[in-house]
Amino acid sequence: MRNGAKRSQAVAFGAIRFLSVLTIVILGLILGFILFKGLRYSSVERGTVLAMAEREPDGFVVVVNAGRDMETASWDELYGMFSDEYINWAKLDGGADDLLPVAVDPASEDGAAVEAFLFGSEDAGGYPLWGGLVRFAPTAAEALAIVASTPGAVCVVAADSVVAADGVVPSAAAAGAGGVKTLGIRRLAVAINSDVSDFVGDSYLEDLSDDDLEGLFSGRIRNWAELGGPDLAVAPLAPPEGGALAAAWERAGLSGSGGGSADSGAEGMAAYLSGLYDTSGAVGPAFALDASLAGIPTAWLTRRVSGWNLTPRFILEAPRLSGKTGGISSIILNTLFMVLLTMAMAAPIGVAAAVYLVEYARDGRVLALLRLGTETLAGIPSIIFGLFGFLFFVDVLGFGFGLLSGSLTLTLMILPTIVRSAEEALKAVPRSMREGSLALGATKLQTIGRVVVPAAMPGIATGVILAMGRAVGETAALIFTMGSDYQLADGLFSSARSLSTHVYLLFAEGVSFDKAFATATVLVVVVLGINLAAKRVISSMSRSGAARQGNA
Amino acid sequence: MMSEAETAFSIRGLDLWYGKSQALKSVTADLPARSVTALIGPSGCGKSTFLRTLNRMNDLVGGVRIEGSVLYDGVDVLSPSTDVIDLRKRVGMVFQKPNPFPMSLYDNIAYGPRVHGVKDKARLDDVVESSLVRAALFDEVKDRLHESALGLSGGQQQRLCIARVLAVEPEVVLMDEPTSALDPISTAKIEALLDELKRDYTIVIVTHNMQQAGRVSDRTAFFLLGELVEYAATKELFFNPADERTENYISGRFG
Ligand SMILES: Nc1ncnc2c1ncn2[C@@H]1O[C@H](COP(=O)(O)OP(=O)(O)OP(=O)(O)O)[C@@H](O)[C@H]1O
Ligand SMILES: [Mg+2]
Repeated sequence: MRNGAKRSQAVAFGAIRFLSVLTIVILGLILGFILFKGLRYSSVERGTVLAMAEREPDGFVVVVNAGRDMETASWDELYGMFSDEYINWAKLDGGADDLLPVAVDPASEDGAAVEAFLFGSEDAGGYPLWGGLVRFAPTAAEALAIVASTPGAVCVVAADSVVAADGVVPSAAAAGAGGVKTLGIRRLAVAINSDVSDFVGDSYLEDLSDDDLEGLFSGRIRNWAELGGPDLAVAPLAPPEGGALAAAWERAGLSGSGGGSADSGAEGMAAYLSGLYDTSGAVGPAFALDASLAGIPTAWLTRRVSGWNLTPRFILEAPRLSGKTGGISSIILNTLFMVLLTMAMAAPIGVAAAVYLVEYARDGRVLALLRLGTETLAGIPSIIFGLFGFLFFVDVLGFGFGLLSGSLTLTLMILPTIVRSAEEALKAVPRSMREGSLALGATKLQTIGRVVVPAAMPGIATGVILAMGRAVGETAALIFTMGSDYQLADGLFSSARSLSTHVYLLFAEGVSFDKAFATATVLVVVVLGINLAAKRVISSMSRSGAARQGNA
Repeated sequence: MMSEAETAFSIRGLDLWYGKSQALKSVTADLPARSVTALIGPSGCGKSTFLRTLNRMNDLVGGVRIEGSVLYDGVDVLSPSTDVIDLRKRVGMVFQKPNPFPMSLYDNIAYGPRVHGVKDKARLDDVVESSLVRAALFDEVKDRLHESALGLSGGQQQRLCIARVLAVEPEVVLMDEPTSALDPISTAKIEALLDELKRDYTIVIVTHNMQQAGRVSDRTAFFLLGELVEYAATKELFFNPADERTENYISGRFG
């Protein structure tokens, strides 16, 4: 008997230990996952050019205002800037400025060279497709001055018109108009013969990773079928030696075989391109413009990019494009406003109601009804509060979607929690404390205000802070009431979104998973911070004597 | 001598019911001023009830009905029109269990004066110090006036509660078994304190400890089942009880 009891106790103890450890492990995994996903992004980027960027492609530089959040541009992006594909920077670097492409007048010699660089020379079949947004400046210096003084401007000029290597232009600097910087240009594509890229039956060449490229040019991959393409032998071609293409190819780190023709002039290049065009199964490097002018398809390339997701900028910057780019500063502030407003209403009302219930209300039907009411309210799903808030605050009272409607709804939602915890805390204050005060000639109100409530303060504060955590984490009650504007709220009736609503919308609207995780991380840290602050407040209150009642 | 002393409380035909059960039965007595009156009797005989009637603490209990009269210094204690705040200010109370407020020693003692409107810092300082001195606690705690009162020992807490009562400058101090939760040394300190205090204050003390009643009190009242059986000078009641029930109780035959 004894042993049996001992054994079952050991088993129970072991099970409890195991379960608690499991809980902690799961908790750690969840937190760790969110933090990791929030701090680092890692995604697959898809494009037609390699990551390698050139500072001075063909002796030109692409110059933008020094304030731009962009370091490199793909050829498509560069081309698009000058052919009206973009009208602002939102899709380029996430900025809000309008795009102003600037070029030297193509009537001048300098301008004609730039035109040939962007659109291809007439000999090669190029055709100038200047967009209507482009502003033409008489000289390179003037174009640079415009870029220096316009946040959204971009221009292409000959490299030798920019003096210093860091991109600071003397004329612009002298004008005191702020700096400029150059963009690296990614234009090296992988051209493939159209036999390879065409549909064959239901097979189609898949996107090429860095590893696939290495395999193609090192001879490891011999047949396109290995990459989902047609059953054709891979025929890697090397660019003409000594030319710009060969140099870029070498910098990209893929020129394994060598053996290109020695003619690096225009004719050698033309021969190389027609080799790609004609040879079945051919693959080789080509600049994006050359390939497209020559009518050679280019492969889709993928590469894994990773980096910091949650940066100081993310916290300090305002969101743009529904949060796809930019940060969450306005959302953090809106959340703060919402919590402050909610707490300013809910805490005093809740504590006052608890004081009334505990100290004044006589036991009876009204009290029982009130109790039932608060208990029921505490269990109602928050989406119901959201619907009620929408009907009542947004619609009937006409407050509209905004901070006030949202905070009022949250107040209703968390009041029961605050009332109940404050009630418990007040009830826990011993009778002797009240009698001691009354026996000194204090009134009931004085007794409540100066002894009972302060003595119950740690408990009350705990309840209020838990409720605050619930408010910060609430989504459903806010979607119908507070609106979803991601701009900084400028008043009580201003539509705003909180951090958790932002996370929800980033996911639900498929705006950006990375940003959603970064925001979630901030949310987790905020909630942790609130809890830690609460602990400190409570322990400092206990130190000053309000927690335990001595040997009572 | 006692008979010549001026009377603090004059109680006539006091009946008290908790709902339907009667806790006090026609109690009549005169409690002298500036002396110690002890209330003794077995548990549940109504000592606390009687004591709490004197400063209307029974008001806090629902369902209490009182008949008879209690006069204090000419004031009708039981009348609904009596200013209870003022009454309690004049008639202070120390409870069985020490009940310091969860605040600093200083704030505990300054609490009474503050609720009665004293704001002047210097005056509060004075009151705090003199109350602690009179409660024989000052030397032990003078360096920690701003620390939590909950850190004191039980005996110190009870003396703090006495100091807290003294700080509102009452005329009467009611004590309901003030030493029953304390160790012998703390008890001795509080008994010595009572001897000091009775020069200036009227003290009514409930005690279960017959020796204590003998040591500290001038007059003693013996209660049994809500009745005031005998009320006399302490020496007389202990050595020459008039009532047989008193004698039985004192000689330890019941209670
Ligand atoms: N709040 C109350 N409600 C109902 N009955 C009460 C209440 N307080 C006391 N009584 C009853 O009144 C009677 C007298 O109680 P009281 O507390 O005055 O006795 P006591 O002499 O102080 O006893 P003890 O020595 O145990 O403190 C008891 O029978 C008690 O049960
Ligand atoms: Mg009692």
